[in-house]
Amino acid sequence: MTMTAELERETIANRPNHGPTPSVDVLVCGSIDRGDDGAPFAASELLEADRPANARIRRIGQVDVDDLLSIPRGAGVVIVDAATGIEPGAILELPLRGLLGDESVRPRSSHSLAMPEVIGLADMLRGRPLVGRIVVIGARRFTLGRPLTRRVSAALPSLSRAMRVAIGHVTEALLEQGGDPPRRNR
Amino acid sequence: MHDTDTLAEPSGDLEVDVAGLTRVEGEGSLRLRVRDGVVQEAHLEIFEAPRYFERLVVGRSPDEVIDIVARICGICPVAYQMTAVHAFEQAIGISIDPAVRDLRRLLYCGEWIESHALHIYLLHLPDFLGYASALELAKDHRSEVVSGLELKKLGNSIVGLVGGRAIHPVSVRVGGFSRTFRREEISSLREALDEGLEIALATVELVSGLATPDFHREARLVALRHPSEYPMNEGRITSTDGLDLDATAWPTEFRERQVSWSHALQSRGRDEQPYLLGPSSRITLAGGQLHPIAAKALEATGLRDAIRTNPYRSIVARAIELVDAVAEAIDIVDRYVPPSVAAEPWRPRRASAGWATEAPRGLIFHAYEIDDRGLVRHAQIVPPTSQNQAAIEADLAAFAPRVLHLPKAEATHRIEQLIRSYDPCISCATHFLDLSVEAV
Repeated sequence: MTMTAELERETIANRPNHGPTPSVDVLVCGSIDRGDDGAPFAASELLEADRPANARIRRIGQVDVDDLLSIPRGAGVVIVDAATGIEPGAILELPLRGLLGDESVRPRSSHSLAMPEVIGLADMLRGRPLVGRIVVIGARRFTLGRPLTRRVSAALPSLSRAMRVAIGHVTEALLEQGGDPPRRNR
Repeated sequence: MHDTDTLAEPSGDLEVDVAGLTRVEGEGSLRLRVRDGVVQEAHLEIFEAPRYFERLVVGRSPDEVIDIVARICGICPVAYQMTAVHAFEQAIGISIDPAVRDLRRLLYCGEWIESHALHIYLLHLPDFLGYASALELAKDHRSEVVSGLELKKLGNSIVGLVGGRAIHPVSVRVGGFSRTFRREEISSLREALDEGLEIALATVELVSGLATPDFHREARLVALRHPSEYPMNEGRITSTDGLDLDATAWPTEFRERQVSWSHALQSRGRDEQPYLLGPSSRITLAGGQLHPIAAKALEATGLRDAIRTNPYRSIVARAIELVDAVAEAIDIVDRYVPPSVAAEPWRPRRASAGWATEAPRGLIFHAYEIDDRGLVRHAQIVPPTSQNQAAIEADLAAFAPRVLHLPKAEATHRIEQLIRSYDPCISCATHFLDLSVEAV
């Protein structure tokens, strides 16, 4: 474990009145063999070597409502995806609901329901908004059998760091609100 | 009681440009021009980048190709796998175990359930109930959205079990599967299927009561027909005007061609006429082979003729097929006995063959040439949406004059709703390769 990870862990652990550290599911979207769509997978490998203890990495390909419904109560989520609409290699880390209404950022790994709809439906079915962040990397090429483009490949360490930061943000948010409260009756 | 929304006679002008069609799979747009009541232009523009799969599979072994073509679509990967594996088995001359045949049908049922549930509840139902999205719909119709998600989950669980994973499955192999499945594994689906059947039957009731525009036309419908079962993996290519072809013979009757406004190749019959595939075509041409539970549900709707002539009624056809797929899956689960081997052994040989199966959106055709090492030399992949594109445009041109009296926003909505009636999968449609080499 690196010094950074240790510091992050201690920062959380040293908070006054902390309970058990809430868990965070990291949902990694994309496809390893489809050009820049493989960036989230590649960055998750970097993160895996130095993963915060409360984070669980799940490589899912496309985010489905069921993926978000399966996040345990009290836990949070970080979604990582490649997207068009931003510079190739540029990285955004924003709240899940930051995607709602932003037409310019278009995740490319799901072509059934748009990401905002998936998030919105999951929120509705869970009974309250899921605590989470999304990390997107700008991508240029999604061609099957092609490698990452140069700019995206060079940005992988930054993407991994952004995933770690997002995990920290979600963990802190969960601690502040005392976990993801139980869902309302359906 | 049905078709309650009668529209006025044609008159006037209309220009509709929908830059990004929503609630369809993939990226496309719509361009419509009507002058003095006459349609000048009706184009479904498919601009999602072509993905060159027909070239990508050259030099690959059949089992590699089966996994590669699954990547064409995240919604209907099984259709690509099933069509490819049958084409290869036809070429190589392999007979499969009846239990493998059942497992493949079960896998296809899973895809139909997942795809149809997604389209009915989350993509198309918002149109009929006056909502802009599934999210908006869910605020007022939570139970309907939950039903759709439960059916979708059921389909995903079948594909996940038999296919190895729910999206882009990996278990299909020439001669069978990558492994055998124990009876207990397959039986584990039974309880969810029973619940799914109840939801599917309720879906038919729900969608058969929806009001639709009173738009009827006699389109040329094309679908597989099988003598003893509702068509999925096998059957002959038939049409409402009497076509009856072997599943390998698609190229003798149909042609692909390029049009300037689409990255997808369009298909037409030899006579240059468009034709329509999909649930409405299958119900019309092969409805006699529906599972008895689905046949009874269809009868109760009283909409069999409307399904044939009114494209907006495709939502009912899709719901009937949901019932059929769930009921069929239950039967397969109940009679399942594991095959003696996971996959029949085979030896490569120089050969070529084509095959057609029924994807959720309609007939899909693949043809492959393989060399004596078993590697692909040439491939042709014809998905349903590219075949339907010309028929969609023809229906669009026929329907457009009927909405000229409506406010533009309402007219545009009706037209988008019509496009969504065909459940176009644009991602599938743009897989082709067109290489132009100029000699210098």
